Amino acid sequence: MLRNREFWLVMTSGLLLGALGVMLAVWGNPENSGICVSCFIETSAGALGLHDNQRMQYLRPELIGFVLGAVLSAVAFRDFKSRGGSSPLTRLFLGIFMIFGCAVFIGCPIKLLLRLTAGDMSSVAGVAGLIAGVWIGLKGLAHGVELAAQSKARSSGSLLIPAFFLILLVFFMVRPGFLLFSFQGGGAQYAPWLVSLSSGLVLGGLAQRSRFCITGSIRNFMMMGLRVPALWGLLAFIAAALVANMVTGRFNFGLYGQPGAHLEYIWSFLGMGMVGWISVLIGGCPFRQLIKAGEGDADAGLVVIGMFIGGALAQSWGIAATASGVSLYGKISILAGFALVAVGSLLFRQR
Amino acid sequence: MFKDSFDKICWLLLIVLIISASTLIYKDSNVADSKRTTASNKSLDRELANRARMELIAKLYAPVEVLHKEGNNPTALLKLDELIRKYPAEAHGHILQGEILINMGAFDEAVSSYVAGVKLNGDYVDAKSPLSRRVEIQRLVDEGLKTISKRASSSPDNSSLAVSRQKINYLKSRLAGGCE
Repeated sequence: MLRNREFWLVMTSGLLLGALGVMLAVWGNPENSGICVSCFIETSAGALGLHDNQRMQYLRPELIGFVLGAVLSAVAFRDFKSRGGSSPLTRLFLGIFMIFGCAVFIGCPIKLLLRLTAGDMSSVAGVAGLIAGVWIGLKGLAHGVELAAQSKARSSGSLLIPAFFLILLVFFMVRPGFLLFSFQGGGAQYAPWLVSLSSGLVLGGLAQRSRFCITGSIRNFMMMGLRVPALWGLLAFIAAALVANMVTGRFNFGLYGQPGAHLEYIWSFLGMGMVGWISVLIGGCPFRQLIKAGEGDADAGLVVIGMFIGGALAQSWGIAATASGVSLYGKISILAGFALVAVGSLLFRQR
Repeated sequence: MFKDSFDKICWLLLIVLIISASTLIYKDSNVADSKRTTASNKSLDRELANRARMELIAKLYAPVEVLHKEGNNPTALLKLDELIRKYPAEAHGHILQGEILINMGAFDEAVSSYVAGVKLNGDYVDAKSPLSRRVEIQRLVDEGLKTISKRASSSPDNSSLAVSRQKINYLKSRLAGGCE
């Protein structure tokens, strides 16, 4: 395995994702949220005026970097392939509910591990939920549940998401009057934009080459055991984040008083469980969807649009959990999400 | 994509549109702010609204502040109760209530008031906010964490202690930051 190029690519991706995930928080991003795709989507949706939580509005350059880094890498290595047409509307809705799941837990799978490696023991319920969700998703796959097959798209619809993120970059630079920026709260905490953007570009490029993904790593490990490089990437991520948290004095072991966390373990478990299950169905966690959208996957592009809608609704409808706990709407959204996935599994099952 | 006249018309249209949009943006950036044709600057609008809110808060709670400074805390609390009922979504009343209660030595009640205020408006735990009470809340949390264990060991069956601990942990979590 040590001579395998893929192994080293995955290891580098895992190491950098873990280290930068901590360092971006050191450089100014919110605590334990150096990288959190769902939080970034919620704040970016707010910056575009899609919700009115004045504390969650900032167009995150990391998010733009992930997609554009993946585009540059895919083009440079002739990996940009237009494809799509696999249950697009279903994917859009699954993207919405994937963000609801993250919002109820307070974080995407990347932040889940960042919280864990910072000593936040309340995230353990989320880890268990994510693993259970991936396991259920795999059971579904084994029983023939899968979305329609993709086709190689002749048209250039796959360029729309990269173009959208390029426009977002222009917006970020030009700062037109309609763009909103928080003065207080999580949205007002950010690393220097050039550092954020370049980190995003590097991670986007690397993730495009390595196909690294948190839920994908768990899925591959469950399917093929220790032989898969993805698992080692995941372990490298955890090791890098743990060391970075300890070195920078951000390791704070305990259950109580953790940043951006609540103590409703069942809902944390269910939220991440839903994310895990959906991720298996659509082929990757929120981070992976951004990368795939950058390499020409129009279906992942629709998931990304769904995630933006989900991010906006999570804030507007009060679905997102806070340190005080999970709201009724948050709980209902999780139950509705599971119902959607269950109905989808019945409808999409190849019998 | 440059096969026939229809392709060429589409390309031409695209070029004309890009030039038109660029010209509009360029022209707009050169005119005085007062004559701008673009939508108003939302950040500026928000800043003005925030300032107006600060002034309203100062005016609204001025009688309470006066009563508090005079040491007439019971009357200040009565006045605050009235204001909290009148403006239930406004956090400042709860924060002032917490400040008065802590001066009166009612620690658990003060914690409850601060929690209610911070839940309504997170600006009170932000260091940079003009409304910030971060230092006071940090002091309250430190004090609470220190005393609550002692109180729990002396009366282990006291169920209200668990609620107080939960509230202090909430404030601690908000002080720790993170996205919310």
